[in-house]
Amino acid sequence: MSRLATWITLGLVLTFLIGPFLIIIAAALSAGNSLAFPPQGFSFKWVVRVFEIESFRQSFAVSMFLAVGGTLAALALGVPAAYGLVRYRVPGAETVRLIVSAPIIVPGIIVGLALLQYLVIPTGVGILTALFLAHTALVLPYAVRVVTASLDNLRVDIEEAALLLGCSRAGAFRRVVLPNIRGGVLAAFILGFVTSFNQVPVSLFLSGPGVRTLPIDMIAYMEINYDPSVAALSALLAFLSVGIVFAAERFLGFSRYV
Amino acid sequence: MSDYLSLEKLTLAYGQTVAVETLDLGIAKGELVALLGPSGCGKTTTMRAIAGLLSPRSGRIVIDGSDVTRLPPSRREVGLVFQSYALFPHLTVYENVAFGLRLKRVANLDARVKAGLATVGLEDFADRAPAALSGGQQQRVALARSLVMEPKVLLLDEPLSNLDARLRLEMRMELQRVQRETGVTMVFVTHDQAEAMALADRIVVMRAGAIEQIGSPEAIYTAPATRFVADFVGFETILPDGDGWLAWRPGAVALGAGLHRGRVLAAAFAGERRDYVIESTLGQIKADLPAGADPLAPGDEIAFDLPRDAAVRLAR
Repeated sequence: MSRLATWITLGLVLTFLIGPFLIIIAAALSAGNSLAFPPQGFSFKWVVRVFEIESFRQSFAVSMFLAVGGTLAALALGVPAAYGLVRYRVPGAETVRLIVSAPIIVPGIIVGLALLQYLVIPTGVGILTALFLAHTALVLPYAVRVVTASLDNLRVDIEEAALLLGCSRAGAFRRVVLPNIRGGVLAAFILGFVTSFNQVPVSLFLSGPGVRTLPIDMIAYMEINYDPSVAALSALLAFLSVGIVFAAERFLGFSRYV
Repeated sequence: MSDYLSLEKLTLAYGQTVAVETLDLGIAKGELVALLGPSGCGKTTTMRAIAGLLSPRSGRIVIDGSDVTRLPPSRREVGLVFQSYALFPHLTVYENVAFGLRLKRVANLDARVKAGLATVGLEDFADRAPAALSGGQQQRVALARSLVMEPKVLLLDEPLSNLDARLRLEMRMELQRVQRETGVTMVFVTHDQAEAMALADRIVVMRAGAIEQIGSPEAIYTAPATRFVADFVGFETILPDGDGWLAWRPGAVALGAGLHRGRVLAAAFAGERRDYVIESTLGQIKADLPAGADPLAPGDEIAFDLPRDAAVRLAR
């Protein structure tokens, strides 16, 4: 009886987790002209169509730039920050930790509005610059947290051993610390990439002529064209995410770090 | 005897807490010295200061005639074998040993690494990861990693305390052999008096950030200078005597006959002998008897004597 209940629960969970994904794939492979489920006929034409839409190509490039560039920038700030927070008894370390986590806690819609109101409008910085700063800030908490976790597991004395064997402080960090937190840094990169790529609320306020992230562009497209190309694009993106996570798990044991 | 390593009026502190105060110590070239004391006595702090991992608040550290007080650890030519070994987990045994030599860009790197591994008997383990080695093997890698740098002073933090009894004897002999063969000046830190006695040429007993006594193992063992040292090296019965103290080892207390009477409080079998704690009007007496003697049970009344000629007298 309890065995049956277990299977039913498992089945329901899987249905709700994977169901929408399957529906999107089915809708994407429809031969009809509007987004619908069940699909009408079978065709790859909407998948092909995705690559023909100019605005998708542009916004994909913007999203990729933000996800890769923003995450790298967040790591460039976050790795040293995590190291400082873990290794040195900095006064106010807890406050710094809290501030760094703020972008996770504050609703994205507020962050987006605030950036528009107090950064873009008064300073006149470009939308792309504002997006880049916003995405860097959004990814920073993940970078700091994941890297902090791997630094916590790293012994201090191996750095001291490196110093005694002739390393400078910076040399010890490069030769001994970095190689041992490599997995954590890569995990932070993947987490940051996915977070940035899927970001909607902040990016919603930060779009301008020719500059939009892919999710925003998809919403805009759907308002005018209710065809299955959005489903096709969604399916492609889902496969991309799944592929990245599988590769990460396969090569890094990603789940150890998250 | 000119000092090869000397600590001059060294004061060490962590923030407001002074760990070691105006310590003076001279160590000769090729000597094997133990810093002995309970935890918190400042022995590890002193070792870290010699290594350059802690900057002294005041005082000087001189190695081989040059003042290294302000030099970073990387330029002191001091090796340190950590208690936890601190091997680099991402590098093989070979690369761990080669680490410092690569930074120095030595010409005969391969030969020196192999010689280092041979010294500690781990030639066949070059390609292993540190995690695939036993604790004793890891310690030998750590030793080789320091030795190949040909340090002026080799520091060892509790080198035997993480090993089991059999490995401990093996490592002790190994350290003495390495010291004989390389002639390196060694300073090791320990809280275990037996370890210090067995390994060191000279023992520095520390207490609360200061040196309590310096002497050969024999001198420390037979003629402790203070009550603290006596207690630390096994004089377990210490009674006041005029303006000083008299101290006896358990074996020096005569059980079964004598002027005093007491009652057995606790008894413990210790292999070759049985240890007893005896409650008497003089205070608690720690004594032992050979395992072959009739055992006493807690509660038994017993006569005992504290022979004056078997006691060590300590000034207050």
